[in-house]
Amino acid sequence: MTSADFQTILPEFLLALYALAALLFGVYGGKDKLGPVLVWVTSAVLAVIGVWISLRGGEAQTGFHGMFLNDGFARFAKVMILFSAAAVLLMSEGYMARRNLLRFEYPILVALGVIGMMVMVSAGDLMTLYMGLELQSLSLYVVAALRRDSIKSTEAGLKYFVLGALSSGLLLYGCSLTYGFAGTTLFSGIITAVGEGQAPLGLLFGLVFIASGLAFKVSAAPFHMWTPDVYEGSPTPVTAFFSTAPKVAALGLFARVMHDAFGGVVGDWQQVVSAIAIASMFLGAVAAIGQNNIKRLMAYSSISHMGYALIGLAAGTALGVQSMLIYMAVYVTMNVGTFAFILSMEKDGQPVVEISSLNMYAKREPLRALALLVLMFSLAGVPPMLGFFAKLGVWQAGIDADLYWLVGLSAVASAIGAYYYLRIVFLMYFGKDDDALEAGGSPVLWGFLMVSAAAMVLGVVNLFGIEGAAAAAAATLVN
Amino acid sequence: MRAPRPAAPLTPAVRSGPAPTATPTQRAEETAIATDPKSDRRNGIAGWAPVLLSATLFAWFCTFLPAVAEGEVLLWQLDWVPSLSVSLSFLVDGLSLTFLLLISGIGTLVMLYSDSYLRGDPQYARFALYLTSFMLSMLGLVAADNLIALFVFWELTTITSYLLIGFHNDEADSRRSALQALLVTGTGALAMMAGMILMGVAAGTFEISEIVAQGDVLREHPWYLAIMILILAGAFTKSAQVPFHFWLPNAMAAPTPVSAFLHSATMVKGGVYLLARLHPALSGTEVWLWTLTIAGAATAVFASLQAMRQTDMKQVLAYTTLMALGTLTLFLASGSAYAITAFVVFLVTHSFYKASLFLMAGCVDHGTGTRDLRVLGGLARAMPLTALAAAIAALSMAGLPPFIGFIAKELGYGGSIEAASSPLLVTGAALIANALMFTVAAVVALNPFWRRGGETPSKPHEADWQMLAGPLILAALGLAAGIFPHVLEHYAAAPIAQSLLGDAEKAKELHLWAGVNTPFLLSLATFALGLVLYFARGALRRALESTVGRLPDLDARWDDVIDGLKGFAAWQTRLLQTGKLRRYLVVIFATYAGVMAVTLAMKAAVVVELDFSDLILKQWMVVGLIVTGAAIVTVTRSRLAAIAALGTVGIGVALTFIVYSAPDVAITQLLIETLNVVLVSVALLRMPLLDPAGTHDHRPKDAVLALAVGGVVATLLLCVLAVPMDMRLTQFFEEASYPDAHGRNIVNVILVDFRAIDTFGEITVVVIAALSAYALLRTTGRRDRA
Repeated sequence: MTSADFQTILPEFLLALYALAALLFGVYGGKDKLGPVLVWVTSAVLAVIGVWISLRGGEAQTGFHGMFLNDGFARFAKVMILFSAAAVLLMSEGYMARRNLLRFEYPILVALGVIGMMVMVSAGDLMTLYMGLELQSLSLYVVAALRRDSIKSTEAGLKYFVLGALSSGLLLYGCSLTYGFAGTTLFSGIITAVGEGQAPLGLLFGLVFIASGLAFKVSAAPFHMWTPDVYEGSPTPVTAFFSTAPKVAALGLFARVMHDAFGGVVGDWQQVVSAIAIASMFLGAVAAIGQNNIKRLMAYSSISHMGYALIGLAAGTALGVQSMLIYMAVYVTMNVGTFAFILSMEKDGQPVVEISSLNMYAKREPLRALALLVLMFSLAGVPPMLGFFAKLGVWQAGIDADLYWLVGLSAVASAIGAYYYLRIVFLMYFGKDDDALEAGGSPVLWGFLMVSAAAMVLGVVNLFGIEGAAAAAAATLVN
Repeated sequence: MRAPRPAAPLTPAVRSGPAPTATPTQRAEETAIATDPKSDRRNGIAGWAPVLLSATLFAWFCTFLPAVAEGEVLLWQLDWVPSLSVSLSFLVDGLSLTFLLLISGIGTLVMLYSDSYLRGDPQYARFALYLTSFMLSMLGLVAADNLIALFVFWELTTITSYLLIGFHNDEADSRRSALQALLVTGTGALAMMAGMILMGVAAGTFEISEIVAQGDVLREHPWYLAIMILILAGAFTKSAQVPFHFWLPNAMAAPTPVSAFLHSATMVKGGVYLLARLHPALSGTEVWLWTLTIAGAATAVFASLQAMRQTDMKQVLAYTTLMALGTLTLFLASGSAYAITAFVVFLVTHSFYKASLFLMAGCVDHGTGTRDLRVLGGLARAMPLTALAAAIAALSMAGLPPFIGFIAKELGYGGSIEAASSPLLVTGAALIANALMFTVAAVVALNPFWRRGGETPSKPHEADWQMLAGPLILAALGLAAGIFPHVLEHYAAAPIAQSLLGDAEKAKELHLWAGVNTPFLLSLATFALGLVLYFARGALRRALESTVGRLPDLDARWDDVIDGLKGFAAWQTRLLQTGKLRRYLVVIFATYAGVMAVTLAMKAAVVVELDFSDLILKQWMVVGLIVTGAAIVTVTRSRLAAIAALGTVGIGVALTFIVYSAPDVAITQLLIETLNVVLVSVALLRMPLLDPAGTHDHRPKDAVLALAVGGVVATLLLCVLAVPMDMRLTQFFEEASYPDAHGRNIVNVILVDFRAIDTFGEITVVVIAALSAYALLRTTGRRDRA
């Protein structure tokens, strides 16, 4: 390992060192008493690394003979992952401490998962890909079942594990097919072996298997089935985590593999990705309508949002990747805010997840209700909230790539999907006055809710300048 | 405590079937609310600030008048999201300015009116905020020069109108109507946006001023039809054209000032505005002409017939608004100078009289506690000023001289007799609609005041000055414009002709008296027919009940649609999201099989030649072993047997390696297989039986799925193997194994030399897995005993 190699992976390395040190400290120190401290420290470490990466900049570097890439795309995704993980950790502290769930392993597992995600978006080789993916997945399986005494939580963890293992197996099968026919596991080698125009048959099947395995990780239909159950069963802060950072990582990896390894045969995977995108958008939109559990609703919401983000990938262009990155940035911000709200929903000190409990919330808590209204409109893609511009971006990228039918169908899906977001607004403002939801939650949650809602409105001025960064990031991936 | 709410909205009187009426008890309750002593609490800053704001805006827009009348076009531009070609650019020309003035002017009067109408309402600040936001979005909509910016403002008006319609959130009807309006116009708007994006791509720019300059390019473009249909979907839902009209009468659940402002003068005209704005770019084709003609004529006639049926003042006015929107659409169908001039004049005229009448209806409701036309009567004595406003506005609506309504009607006839589509159809439709308007005007605005008799729930009293200012000023403007038509011609008709037709000179002159010509004769016919209809209104209403009342109506189907959607959602959740892992696995495997099969069919010419000739006996035996093992796994009910049979399959695979002379690989396989069987059986045998009775036999279905997946994977492998392998790796190991690693067995060399560290890792992993499994099983065992 030369020092140049080491340079490319330095952030991951430091984070891993921190995680292991924290683990030792936790085991031989005060165990669960350290929980709150570790959460705050881990969150700070993640945020600091995020700031550091965003300031680091510089040319694209490759390390370990091309197995690990540190380019603009990876950096952009990593910053999103780190910040969202840090935010979600901060939001979990109060909720978990009060319900006696705050084990000291929780922040460490999140940190390990984040390392996996960072490796995923930096992967330049099928083996790096798999290593990152499994490190992430294994951490997530455990976190999902964090509440061991709850049947729902353990069931969620187990389901997630079984289905995840299955998809990993299929992904590996695809990797071996690819390796067998390309003779290398390096993306840079695969792309030469694949050539331009049409992929050889063996590689094509490798591609299909890999794409399906990754679709599972982004919880795109028809590999989405774990999502609602796991979202519902996991403790709410974990659900919040699931819906943010891992999604960015999985989608980043998806884009990475498709463009870096199979960039020459866009036509071959464009249809697969488009089909997955359509299935996800429609399933997410329709299935959410009947939900009364807000966590399940958010699960379907994330399924359909992944569908929209995949339009950017399906476009197969730099503009598409750029719009996908912007979409994810907006999506993550919205979700952080929405989950900050969900975490603060309680009655008699107990968490509440029923949507019907939001009846006439606007009367009791006008400001919070307004913030949630903004977020819901933004999630639904109603202008002038930021969510609309995110959608507009992927649509333009889709039209630019002549995917008219895809864009048309996604507009229909977003009309159907708007229904359930609006239902929440409807209940808050025009509902019946019966249930009394308390004004729960900590100042931290309040702050995240307000900041995220404000971002949805203020962001329309210039998208906070992330447009340029996303464009630069996309340019390093697609060329 | 709930403060008294002056407006007691009626149940919207329109549903399918005969128009229901409020029951007497219901009415009595509403009256009780309405006649509560009025709270004297003023609305404070929330009351007058919006008035000041809109008045200032109105004054500011007035300063543009001279320049725009000279034909100037004012532009502002600001980059917004450059990479998406979204800029915040505004354009003020004749068309925009007319709308800007109408919106801010009527806005001022409505704000003033609301302050008194909802005095003391604890939610007034919220109401004022929504109404002001609505006004600003509407102003943005008509001034925007960028398609995307226009869409953003368009949706803002939808949202604010949603909040305003549902303002009385304790009434189920308000809530339903609010959601309905939102979903109908929102869905239309999405279609419209798709059309706008296509239009922007086709024209190469999103700036409206640049798009309208290249109408020929668009009309020739292969996407023209798609663009037009999508944009019309947005405009027709917003402007409530048949068959998307049903949300507008329901939206009358909103407080009366909202109905006056949004649902007559401004928001619903958004669609018409868009049609006018894009007129130079899209009009001039047969399909545009006929679509707009048919939709407009159908809406106008249908709505005026419906208006006759209603008994609630606001419902009557809602349907007459529909009629006006249909007429405006009809005018925009063609591009003739007559039609465009008629469009402008009727647009302004309608805004004047309709806003005035709505506000008047609010005064009546406020003063008497009811809006039911069957009980209202003789109010002129108690409410003289309201009666005056109503009379002037009604005469303008009826199209009598010297009101501006007369000029609008004359111009309309002028346009329809030379319509490019079918003069007979258009003129006929216009004649019926106008005659009915004449009758309706008398019924809704004259009868309540001058008819004898009438029992109102509370003693009628006159409204205060704030509420009278609006209806009086607007009604007076209708009269003034009729007497001095050239003002309207100079400041509105000519500049709009410039915007739409490219030439201000094309605007027709506005006259009260243009001599005896066909339009004048048609006007006389209208009055005669209107009078006949007025006297025969009882019979007419009965006839309408049995015809129009029975027409299928989307509103009646609305709840079915919403329920159907919910039902479908629940159904698919039951089907896919059962919570059972087994079902999830089935879906995943089925998807794989399907995707692979499709890919195979599309990409590979499946030429699988099966040649068994060189198989010898021992190979057949191995195949037999594997197949038998697999069959037993699927058939057996015993877990132990299944695990053992699975082990047999593994041994069969190991034997295959032996047959092909790779004993080392075979040994590895055997070891792993043994470990697997032991571990799996230890784990599985400790589990309780899930279904001891064996009632749910999944095996037949699972067998089908297994066969499908197995078949597809086998075919896939055969296809893949038919493609020549890349032999570089084999070659490399052949050449390098002896010189580099001093081994002749290539597999051995790979395992212990080239990939030695991998092998080491694998061994470690297997050991760790076994150890942890052991630890896990040991602890559970102990717990069982304890």
